[in-house]
Amino acid sequence: MSKATTEVLLWAQRIAMRKKHKAFELLELPPTFTLDQAQEAFYRVARMAHPDLHRTTLDAAELETVTRAYAQVAAAYQTIRTQLLKQPLPPVRKPGDSREKRMSQHDFHDESPTPPPVVPPPPPLTDTRPPPAVTPALTQMSPKALVYYRKAELALRRGDMPTAMMQIKMAIAADPASKFLRAALLEIQQELGQKT
Amino acid sequence: MSLGIDLGTTNSCAAIATPTGVEFILGARGERVHPSVVAFPQSGGVVVGSDAKRYRLTEPQHVIHSAKRFIGQNIRAPLAQLAMTGVRYRIVEGPNQQPIVSVRDRRLTMPEISSHVLLHLKRAAERQLGTEIRDAVITVPASFTDGQRQATKEAGRLAGLEVMRLINEPTAAALAYGFGHNHNQIVCVFDFGGGTFDVSLLKLSGEVVEVLASDGDFFLGGDDLDRTLAESLASACNEQLYVDPRPHAPLMMKLTMGAEAIKCHLSENDAAEGEIDGLDLPGGQIGKLPFQVTRRQFEDMINGFVQRTIDVTRQVLAAANVEPKAVSEVLCVGGSTRIPTVRRRLAELFGREPNIRINPDEVVAHGAAIQAGSLTNSIMTGTGMGAAHAVSTQAHSPLVIGRTKTPTAPIKRPLLLDVNPATLSIQTAGGFTERLLDKNAPIPIERSRVFTTARDNQTRVEIDCCRGEKKRYTDNEPLGQLVLENLPARPRGDLKIEVSFRVDADGILHVRANDQDSGSRQEVRLQVFGAPESR
Repeated sequence: MSKATTEVLLWAQRIAMRKKHKAFELLELPPTFTLDQAQEAFYRVARMAHPDLHRTTLDAAELETVTRAYAQVAAAYQTIRTQLLKQPLPPVRKPGDSREKRMSQHDFHDESPTPPPVVPPPPPLTDTRPPPAVTPALTQMSPKALVYYRKAELALRRGDMPTAMMQIKMAIAADPASKFLRAALLEIQQELGQKT
Repeated sequence: MSLGIDLGTTNSCAAIATPTGVEFILGARGERVHPSVVAFPQSGGVVVGSDAKRYRLTEPQHVIHSAKRFIGQNIRAPLAQLAMTGVRYRIVEGPNQQPIVSVRDRRLTMPEISSHVLLHLKRAAERQLGTEIRDAVITVPASFTDGQRQATKEAGRLAGLEVMRLINEPTAAALAYGFGHNHNQIVCVFDFGGGTFDVSLLKLSGEVVEVLASDGDFFLGGDDLDRTLAESLASACNEQLYVDPRPHAPLMMKLTMGAEAIKCHLSENDAAEGEIDGLDLPGGQIGKLPFQVTRRQFEDMINGFVQRTIDVTRQVLAAANVEPKAVSEVLCVGGSTRIPTVRRRLAELFGREPNIRINPDEVVAHGAAIQAGSLTNSIMTGTGMGAAHAVSTQAHSPLVIGRTKTPTAPIKRPLLLDVNPATLSIQTAGGFTERLLDKNAPIPIERSRVFTTARDNQTRVEIDCCRGEKKRYTDNEPLGQLVLENLPARPRGDLKIEVSFRVDADGILHVRANDQDSGSRQEVRLQVFGAPESR
């Protein structure tokens, strides 16, 4: 009897005795493991004990023992795999997500503590310039209008005139008394007129 | 020597792995593909293969074809009833709800019909190789159910072959492609044939070929595309010739054949124009129907079907938790993958052009031969086709096809890790299902669960097994019933009944049930509907 044959028979007996054990124990894994580790462990078992590899060397009864043991380990692997795949993946947020935009607005008017950072942490924004200076006109503005004004500012930096104009108009709707906003609207309208 | 056999619906193919490569079994005229047709002609005897096909014109009621559509099917199942409308021979119901062919004064089961095809291949192989053939590996569609698998195995046994293994067709295709490559990659096999659609995702790592996930649609194929096009031709016929062909089966058949020709033409050309003549209109007239179809129009017509194949492919990717970009090769198998829009949609999904260089008719038998060689330990060197050495779909010269890859380093025997084709459950109180084995779990696999009685003093338990994903038992496909009788009378919930599901490497389910408490441990085995009776 070759070494590989003896090894697989001993393994099959070991598995048969462990019938009531946990899935990771059947795969001979540590108590905490990743999906990759589980897969590697299963491949190790498959390379050693898959019944196809032994059908020419073992007799029927021995092959039956090995097949049973292998079938149990396969079930254990499936249990582990389903569990690990079912765990929801941490949400990945890209810059430019609507959520991301709202979070950056918290910097301007502090109304609630920022939520704990998500995993993995969002990559830094591409815009690395210092925060805009706070002019007296801005402090007098209503918080809602300020939000729209900041959006308009961002759009202006991108050169997206129509969006900027729309945001300014929204800001005016939120704070109709502000002369500062009306001046800004005029400015944008003039620039738009020059372009077209 | 062990043979790898692709037992197809319309054609079969056989190959054998030798130390130098894979050799195909040739027919009497040197053909590599053998029609899966069995004829019982007036002159007596049984004729198989291309000779049998000739009798289709003279005595169609004695020519048995498409036996694969019925093998192992429950004759009462809607799919079997649907398939029965497409054949000219008589099928009656036999014991255990299995379909029986009634031809002349003989009654044959479907495994008996298929065994004639297998015997034909076995004899051809013995003639060609000069040795006796005893063992075989037979391929089946991944979507084949338990009864169909058992019946296919039975067919092999009747032909005097020991069926070492049934393997899934897409798996065989991937084995033929992947074996001999010594690096890790994920391969998608997209098998869109005439009658069925299958998609499988496989991981090749060294000698191990692991099926990550597999899914398909048993009734989605090129025939559906033909029917769609024929429907539009039918309405054109109604408008131009003032005849509605839909109630006239022969007329509709003629239009469907025309549609198939148009479909093939549109795979190569942007538009098809011409006329279908020789239409036997009711009233004794012979009419002709002019048609003009552009590729764009055809693509719009079949869009729903193509979308379905892409959706299933996405499901398989999701089930295996694999990103489309991680797939390094897309293998196209089956004639319907020649349609440009199918290829384009695949390229869009995976971000790479699909591989279409492998001959779809032969690749499955090639993979089966490799697996057969591996099981008998007769190949130790690489005999895979490899992408660069893939057989061209055009070339049919044995000189070209016989080319195989010579590996630089000796490669170990391939090891195939296949998966369970369907979720298997049992019925519990209230008509719901309880899952025992998941779809896409590695096989062989065994899992047991303990159940209990629902009523006081229950002495009889019926265990209904089914396959399918649905929560309600009646929404799934029933497999069969196990009955445990003469149980000790106990209060409900007191009796422990262990039900053990085991799927072997062929994908066949074995169910055992026993009550753990009573001294007499009863064990019952499952009898699947439509399958040959267990011995």
